Amino acid sequence: MIETGPGRSIAIWGTLTAVLSAAAILGAFLVAPEDADQGVIQRIFYFHVAIALTSMVAFAVAFVAGVLYLRNRDRRFDEVGVVSVGLGLLFSALTVLTGSIWAKASWGIWWQWSDPRLVTYAIVVLLYMAYFMLRSSVDGERQGRYSAIFAVVAFASVPLSFYAVRVAQSFIHPVVFTQSGANMPNTMLIWFVVSQVAMLSLFVTLLKLELLQRRTDRALNELKLRLESVRPL
Amino acid sequence: MTLGARQFRALLLKDLRLELRTRQTAIAMILFAVVAMMAFQFGFGFRVDDTTPLAGGILWATLALTAVLGVGRSFVPEREQRVLDGLLLAPVSRSLLLAARAASVFAYMLVVEVITVPLVTVFFVQDPAATDFALIALVCVTANLGIAILGSLLAAMAVFTRARELLLPVLFLPALLPVIIASAGATHAVLGVSDDMPEYNGYILFLLVYAVIFALVAYATYDYVFDD
Repeated sequence: MIETGPGRSIAIWGTLTAVLSAAAILGAFLVAPEDADQGVIQRIFYFHVAIALTSMVAFAVAFVAGVLYLRNRDRRFDEVGVVSVGLGLLFSALTVLTGSIWAKASWGIWWQWSDPRLVTYAIVVLLYMAYFMLRSSVDGERQGRYSAIFAVVAFASVPLSFYAVRVAQSFIHPVVFTQSGANMPNTMLIWFVVSQVAMLSLFVTLLKLELLQRRTDRALNELKLRLESVRPL
Repeated sequence: MTLGARQFRALLLKDLRLELRTRQTAIAMILFAVVAMMAFQFGFGFRVDDTTPLAGGILWATLALTAVLGVGRSFVPEREQRVLDGLLLAPVSRSLLLAARAASVFAYMLVVEVITVPLVTVFFVQDPAATDFALIALVCVTANLGIAILGSLLAAMAVFTRARELLLPVLFLPALLPVIIASAGATHAVLGVSDDMPEYNGYILFLLVYAVIFALVAYATYDYVFDD
């Protein structure tokens, strides 16, 4: 038998994600009431906002993992950091994509520089792509250290970017586009929460899967080295 | 003078003396800034009648690019002449190394700004007022703080990587975007017909907050950059 423990945990998380995602899709498209102003396109909100918040959770996980790695030099934190940043980047790119679709449907244009959230996510994508550029041009123990430092720097600049974009826009456009936020009715809120939990569960599942793969890969390499060292010449 | 202050002074003077003797970094930065400004003019300056609303943006986009160039350049002797090995062996705290490097980058930026700010106003602003220069000088000082601190931290990492010249702009520029937004906004607020002081003050405060946050981040992480 191979990997019963982690395999089972991933299976549980995977099933949970599948059930929650199915519920979120059904709820968002069929059950939730239609928005009076925006019509059907408003239903993208259930996924767009859930994806966006999940990407921030991923970057926060990478930030914490970075701090822990710098303190303990435990390689597992480095792995959690790099996988989280990768997933966060994926979710951020999806945020920009779904946000752009929403912008086209409700404002008539694919890109709106005066929407601080969308612009911040574009900056965030650039920032965290640089993380991988940095990582790929350093080797050995330094790789984990520099990645951790950059994860901290990048996470610190996310709120600064958001604030700067928002302030700059408020001086140009007095009214910033607002979403329904917490003003939405409970019938909408519940499906948003389901969708949000589904996205977070998807993040945890993917994180665990990727970590398992990396650890298996490392164990395999160590095994190969050991076999090579005992092989008769 | 305390030991720390003497060490800081020695480190800063080393950088400045090296620059005064070679005059490589500051002159290259100034030339680069002038060329970048002309690129903006030829890129879109022709298409508008009055470039005054664009001046703040042109100035700070130029200065941000120049900062990347200068920060990267400031680590070259450290690497090529193995200065860093000596510095790391010396009994000096890492935070002082960062502070001294940030101070020298700050000084380079100031030299560049002394030339570029008047040039931008001559090239792009119709009837600049004398008081505007004092207000823009304050923008320069506060923006330079953040630029110098974050730049010194990122450049110290980039110097040990393979694609260092390529990597530094990729790491540094996205994190600098808030500085470009705020300092261009502050400059724009005072270059118009009437100065918009609440807007200007808001941006200055933001630049200070940016500098403080990255000073804390740099202080907390700089030790780990050289932790070999």
